[in-house]
Amino acid sequence: MIRYMIVQNVLHRPLRTFITVLAVAVEVTLVIIVVGLTSGLLAESAKRIEGVGADIMVQPPSASVFMAFSGAPMPIAIADKLSQLEYVQAVAPVLLQFNSNGLEIIYGIDQESFLAVTGGFVFHEGHDLQGPNDILVDDVYARSKKIKLGQTLRLFDHDFHVVGIVEHGKGARLFVFLSTLQEMAGAHDKASVFFIKCDRTDHTPAVIDAIKQLLPRYEVRPLKDFISLMTSSNLPGLGAFINVMIGIAVVIGFLVIFLSMYTTIIERTREIGVLKSLGASKGYIVRIVLSETTLLCIGGAVAGVGLSYLMSAIFIKLFPTLTILITPLWVLRAGLIAIVGGLLGAAYPAWMASRKDPVEALAYE
Amino acid sequence: MLKPTRIFPSSNSPTLAGERLLEPILQTENLWKVYRQGKVEVPALRGVSIEIFPGEFVSIMGPSGCGKSTMLHVIGGLAQATSGRVLLDGNDLTTMSDSARTLLRRHKVGFVFQRFNLLPTLDAYHNITLAQHIHGNGFDPHRFQVVADLLGLSGRLKHKPSELSGGEQQRVALARAIVSEPKIVLADEPTGNLDTKSSEAVLGLLRQLNQDLGQTIVMITHNPEAAAYGHRVLHMRDGEVVDGSSVH
Repeated sequence: MIRYMIVQNVLHRPLRTFITVLAVAVEVTLVIIVVGLTSGLLAESAKRIEGVGADIMVQPPSASVFMAFSGAPMPIAIADKLSQLEYVQAVAPVLLQFNSNGLEIIYGIDQESFLAVTGGFVFHEGHDLQGPNDILVDDVYARSKKIKLGQTLRLFDHDFHVVGIVEHGKGARLFVFLSTLQEMAGAHDKASVFFIKCDRTDHTPAVIDAIKQLLPRYEVRPLKDFISLMTSSNLPGLGAFINVMIGIAVVIGFLVIFLSMYTTIIERTREIGVLKSLGASKGYIVRIVLSETTLLCIGGAVAGVGLSYLMSAIFIKLFPTLTILITPLWVLRAGLIAIVGGLLGAAYPAWMASRKDPVEALAYE
Repeated sequence: MLKPTRIFPSSNSPTLAGERLLEPILQTENLWKVYRQGKVEVPALRGVSIEIFPGEFVSIMGPSGCGKSTMLHVIGGLAQATSGRVLLDGNDLTTMSDSARTLLRRHKVGFVFQRFNLLPTLDAYHNITLAQHIHGNGFDPHRFQVVADLLGLSGRLKHKPSELSGGEQQRVALARAIVSEPKIVLADEPTGNLDTKSSEAVLGLLRQLNQDLGQTIVMITHNPEAAAYGHRVLHMRDGEVVDGSSVH
């Protein structure tokens, strides 16, 4: 009966229902897209790091897993020491530079060792780096920035010559010679990270132990676990950002539902009087208001999930380098956030409705 | 303080199946209801004492502002009395909490209003079964059918209030009021918004409910012709019952 009643109520004012559902949908979309975008970016860059094909990554003491935020304080000579360790097949020193213009990381690589660790690039077009001003770009980057082989690419006030377009997934989207990047960054004989390839994968723990003895304070991580480390909780600023965005979304949902249910209750004052005259308890009236809110929020959540997929498809079409990760967990969380926010917003209107004086409510025009 | 008026039914007042029932279903004793408007106290009921017996159809008549609507609200448990007693089926409403009065309304009182007060979003069927749902005993198809047939609603149940005439809406409201078998039906100007023909139909149905189902009815009206449908008429003026007479 209550179900029938709330469905009829919702259908009775289609515009109000539409606006409310839309607002909740926007709330849900905001949560899903913000989380999807941040975790998508993290997961995608983690995947690229994994794609390097190394078994171990060595970083300077207390370096972040988010390599873009690390400097380059390691002497490159460490690479020689590492390559002498047992079971180590290859060591690739890489200097990272963060290009704040395009939000991209550029790898300065020693081509020979990098190829030894990664197994080499898959070329779509062009060839290896040859001159100091040569640059390799990956296919995704080339597609999104419409970069052609042979064209000049200006980065850090430096003109690079695009000599190859390679398959994506090797750590970064842009690769230049290590020496070129060292000179540009003023980091002579330095590297930000060493990627290490073991002769056999199951030797990884032994090599890690050996490196930890050799370089006690350095960050030594197996790359197998890398994706799990690349989460927003490992980057406090990002976690706070996500929380703020969720907070804003909840406030939007709360206010919209509050206003919607508040005006609904006022509009239905006489009906509430009728229900009271029929002997409906306060709990019965609260139940009607909250059930209706839940229905609106579920409608909004479902619409929001649909809208999120649509927005995500549009974003990816417009910005191919973006990755938006929509996970079932966050779809569920966003839905719950919308429902809880909505119920909080409806709490006061429901309470107000349940406390109406029946005689006054029946006389309401 | 004004002297309370005490009106008892006359000796030839109607009874169910001709048997004299001594216990009133509704009884008020020196009932006062005072509204406060700012710092001024406005008494709407001034010491009303009446008795309504099971199976009676009683009309309460009086000019606007005489307190008859207030009377209906207080004896129906919608409003709290300021002083005095209201006994409805043995329960003293004046000592009850708001939620206890709500429960009492649910189980013992059926209201009919001048403006019908149907829920606009529900069709006639659901407007009627809503009362059964709130009552809590679930849907009783037998009772529903009896009521719908008696009020001639069977063909109109799928229609929403906006698709029904005033007379039909009031019949739905009547059905809603009696479907949960209340002890007493309180009708507040049930023909106030109806034309003459529909009024007669609704009044005829009230009388029929009273005769066929033995439904106790208290009806407020300012129309003497409508009042004449009852077994007896209580006249109110300035918050007091000034005269109680039997018309039959």
